Amino acid sequence: MGMDEGMGGTGPGRYARTDWGWLLQAATGLGLVVLGTVHLITQHFTARKLLDYAEVTAWLRQPWVLVVEILFLGTVVAHAVLGVRSILLDLGPSPAAEQRVTRLTLIAGVALVVYGVGLTALVVMR
Amino acid sequence: MVGRDPRPRWLQVGRAWLYPRGRRLGGWAFILNRLSGLVLTAYLLLHLTLLSTLAWSPAAYDWFIELMSSRLVLLFDLALAAVLIYHGLNGIRLTLVGLGVGVTRHKEIFWAAMLVGLLLLGYGGYRLWGGM
Repeated sequence: MGMDEGMGGTGPGRYARTDWGWLLQAATGLGLVVLGTVHLITQHFTARKLLDYAEVTAWLRQPWVLVVEILFLGTVVAHAVLGVRSILLDLGPSPAAEQRVTRLTLIAGVALVVYGVGLTALVVMR
Repeated sequence: MVGRDPRPRWLQVGRAWLYPRGRRLGGWAFILNRLSGLVLTAYLLLHLTLLSTLAWSPAAYDWFIELMSSRLVLLFDLALAAVLIYHGLNGIRLTLVGLGVGVTRHKEIFWAAMLVGLLLLGYGGYRLWGGM
């Protein structure tokens, strides 16, 4: 299905070599609906104001919060880099360039997750 | 079809993204989904960068939070919420269509999703602006 066709959708058959990308994009997207809602409710809707440093560090030290936030980080980063990869693949790269795009987006994703987990660990263990 | 066009692929893609003539609802929804995704990716990077103030010092983070509580930033948050809600709801629609669910009723699903989105945005705006 092309991008300018009626439904404006992509689907598992769009790129024969990259079906896993579409499925992972959809799965992380659905995961984000759940995890993003939990993040928004706990961080922004239950508190009457944005949490200050003392409040946010105490909040992050709860094990379940840590698990949810790290899951959220991993899912949102995966969804974002897969989306960027999908846009880059629309430009019609050669198979070699497609591999480079996949490798670069994977490196970017891992770097962002390592950064986020590192930052969280620094705050929790301080 | 894009594949039979003799022009370079990047030009075909650019045209497919931006050329407005003859474009149907799904085409606009697709472009907006991609653009909103790029905006949210940029925001994710900004958000992670700004959260590094947590590592600097408590005072730096509290200054950041005070800045984030200003009316101007709340306006930005509301615009961001609109982008996020659109991307999320249209993403669910695209997933359903991609899996072959509701293919013949994708327009109705789109407008129903937008209605839900408006309600969510209204609630979010109330919480951001007046309800806190």
